[in-house]
Amino acid sequence: MGALTDIATIARWEVKRTLTQMSKDTLPLAIVLFILLILVTGFAAQSGMHLQDGMYKVGVDDPAIAQLLASDNRFLVYQLDRATLEQNRQAFDIVVMEGKVYGSDTERAKSALKTVERDYAKYTNRVYNRQDDLYAAYPLWIDIQSVKSELDFLATQSGQYISARPGAVAPVPEGEVRAIPSPSPALGFSKEDLRGELAKSETANSQISRYTEMLSSDTATGRFRTPSQLSPPLPFDSIILIFVFIFPLYFTSQFFMMSIMNERIERKGEVLLSTPVKTTSIIIGKVLPYLIGMIAISAALTVYLRASLLIILPLIPVIFFFLANALIIGMVSRSFKELSFISIFFSTVATSYLFFPSIFANVHVISLISPLTLIILTLQGTAYTFTDYLFSTSLFWLTSAVLFYVAVVNFKEERLFSEKRLLIRIREFIAESLSRNHPFVSLFLLNGFAIPFVFMVQLMCLVLFFNLPMPYSLVLLLIFAAEIEELVKAIGIYTLSEQDTAFLSWKNLFFACAATAIGFLVGEKLLLFITLTQITESVFGSILFLSLGMLWMPLALHFAGVFIVACALKFWGRAGLVPGLLAATAVHCLYNLYFILGWLT
Amino acid sequence: MNARHLSIIMHKEFRGLFNERTILLAVLLQLFVAMFSSFLMVGLTSMYDPSSLSKYSRFRYSIAYAGNDSGLREYLDASPDFNVYDMDLSPAVAALKERKLAAVIYAPDTAPDAVDPVKITLYTLQNDLQSAIVNVKLKDIFLKYEKDLRGVRAVRLGERPLPLQLPPSRGGGDFYEFVYGLLIPMLVFMPAIIASALVIDLITEEYQHETLETLISTPVSFAEIIWGKVLACELLVPVQAGAWLLLLLINGIPISNVPLILLMVTLSSAIPILIGALTALHYRERTAAQFIFSTALVVVILFVLALPANPLNLLTRLAVGTAGMEQWIVLAGVIAIGAILSIATQQYAEKIGRQHHTG
Repeated sequence: MGALTDIATIARWEVKRTLTQMSKDTLPLAIVLFILLILVTGFAAQSGMHLQDGMYKVGVDDPAIAQLLASDNRFLVYQLDRATLEQNRQAFDIVVMEGKVYGSDTERAKSALKTVERDYAKYTNRVYNRQDDLYAAYPLWIDIQSVKSELDFLATQSGQYISARPGAVAPVPEGEVRAIPSPSPALGFSKEDLRGELAKSETANSQISRYTEMLSSDTATGRFRTPSQLSPPLPFDSIILIFVFIFPLYFTSQFFMMSIMNERIERKGEVLLSTPVKTTSIIIGKVLPYLIGMIAISAALTVYLRASLLIILPLIPVIFFFLANALIIGMVSRSFKELSFISIFFSTVATSYLFFPSIFANVHVISLISPLTLIILTLQGTAYTFTDYLFSTSLFWLTSAVLFYVAVVNFKEERLFSEKRLLIRIREFIAESLSRNHPFVSLFLLNGFAIPFVFMVQLMCLVLFFNLPMPYSLVLLLIFAAEIEELVKAIGIYTLSEQDTAFLSWKNLFFACAATAIGFLVGEKLLLFITLTQITESVFGSILFLSLGMLWMPLALHFAGVFIVACALKFWGRAGLVPGLLAATAVHCLYNLYFILGWLT
Repeated sequence: MNARHLSIIMHKEFRGLFNERTILLAVLLQLFVAMFSSFLMVGLTSMYDPSSLSKYSRFRYSIAYAGNDSGLREYLDASPDFNVYDMDLSPAVAALKERKLAAVIYAPDTAPDAVDPVKITLYTLQNDLQSAIVNVKLKDIFLKYEKDLRGVRAVRLGERPLPLQLPPSRGGGDFYEFVYGLLIPMLVFMPAIIASALVIDLITEEYQHETLETLISTPVSFAEIIWGKVLACELLVPVQAGAWLLLLLINGIPISNVPLILLMVTLSSAIPILIGALTALHYRERTAAQFIFSTALVVVILFVLALPANPLNLLTRLAVGTAGMEQWIVLAGVIAIGAILSIATQQYAEKIGRQHHTG
């Protein structure tokens, strides 16, 4: 009961302090800025974004076409007579003479040509849409029927081809053939519905759609498209909405970061630490207001957008992840500059991890590694399963839990008020989480719990390399996956040997390596068992998680890797770390290569 | 203002930055963003312009054609991308589910010149990268067929669009606008934003770590301290922006007018940096200052972007090489605003400096 009261008290302090700090003269200015923001947004919406104005130079001889092109700010349109145009061809990216478009051969001209093409297509659509006989202007409609594959669809999504090489005869289905009624030739929508939809897709957010003109967005007429609307759907609106959700979270976690940092400045937090309140209570108390605030903001946004409250579910692990990282960042950085740089770095990396996979929400299963994809799916009204939820959020849950644990054990005087370098501090943080009396158990646990981080980084690499041409992506992934694993395995032993150089006796070294290898393997197994089956079954997964076939083989590999590093540390001390890591990575890569080559042939 | 004092302060700040190795993080950040944007470009290109990846264009996809004969069939047969089989609808869809086909097309019994539109039903696999590519390839064929049908029904059209004859598409130029119209101005201007956040840290740190009194007791004046910090941040901008441009150039993205771009960025970065310095001087506490500053920055950037011929637009136009005389007017405007802010900063700093000496 006492802990609860402590937590409540500390949470109250935290709120009170933030509010008094804010209300002095920040709040009035913040309100003014907020009003300005609304005004400016209105102004920007009216005037449009002028980032790309005047990128291309166009020479035109016909005033009507000049007017048509000039409606696009990207063009600098010069209306000249034909002779002048012909003389100065080189001065323009594009020249339009007597209804014919000529482009130069530069990249800029090619891009300008594409823009003219799209603008012209929009213009013709506008004209056609005014026709009384809509079906003369749009005689062809495509009805897209999505079919769910009954086979294991992971294989093809990981870079393999969709079907066997075409043969001379038509393929014969092996399974049961369910009768499909012939589709009716009628559209099932009124002309006016279709016309409205065409008009909408033509005017839709033209500023933003510049980047996405080749992609279409979802329409109210659903699967019905004219051929020009036929592109993989990009959930663009939803992606914008995601930023609406994520930005308040950044802001709030910044406040939290600063609150932690403020405790450390001039040892202000010493008072708090000298009270009999447990560190867990202090941290929970300090986190609580921000956690509640973030959830409240998200909920308010959801209600405002009239979206399903289910959106909050995938957001919660993200919120925890932000708070856990904010806590650690606030605890390790020594100065404001460092705080700024680390937090900018963290937020860029986190945004990339969250944001980029979600672009492929409708296209590829890889997108599910980001919880934001679940938000997009919810916004689109697509259901996701509990497994999907586990798959995309479990890493966030686990890493946050581990980070909170590290923060709790390190939340004490000698850590908070030390002025050592960043890497040393991080090492001390890890060292604090290791028990001195039970180094092997600690190593086992450390490596087990490091697995979620390893997977996160490896998945990040997967996303990064996924789109490189096939052999390169595999090779890079191979090397990086091995490098990351070896690095993480080395951390524990390195920390122990740094603390106590005598630790690495041969006996200890052997047991430490064994504990590391077993911990790593168990963590890997467990996490894969829970979630990652989706990716592990693909080609890429087989590289990342190759070490799953038989148990003793990967164990031997993990042991060998960490043993190489440990020996290097024993013989050369700190200087041996990098060469040791390189050697271990090479061994790891060779092992993987051997298996993949064996498996491919 | 004593130049030696300024350089002492600048040295102090640079030493701090290098000692903490925070600058390393900034470099890492640059590399990371560059890597990710290239990922985005390659990824999107390969997805929406499949021929850019040769492994996809080599491949002939098997598709089934069901239903009635139509002009579409001829285009499909002629296409090098597809292998067309005549099949009944039900077995075709079953084969699609087993991934023996890439798509199934069903054509209805609608005459090309009928009153009603022709409704083609396209069966594809859900959530699949390859079927996205098949869709893109089919789109071209559908467009040709649509043009034919439109030709047949042309007599029923009222108003005709202005004729414009476009040259055949030669590919390329897909991401030109993305790179030059978004990536370059964003990446080049990012150092300015980082520098202005940094100046807030540098100033509030002196207050919150209570090191200011020591500094003031030296012959360096308060205004000189502030200007030293501002200049240190200002100096970082061209270095970082230059690194960006170099990175892009190494990546094979040609950029025109590099010196002018650097000049433009350096001068316009003075505006956010001075706004940052003023906010920090006013609040003397990081949380409030950073909060107000970042909100203000969003307002200012949004406003600036909504203005025609804004400095960011000028960066784009300089990079592509279409900037005209108006760039000098914009530059003059930027310098004028910077000068006003400089005077404000100087006066504010002097005022605070006097308070420190008397109080």
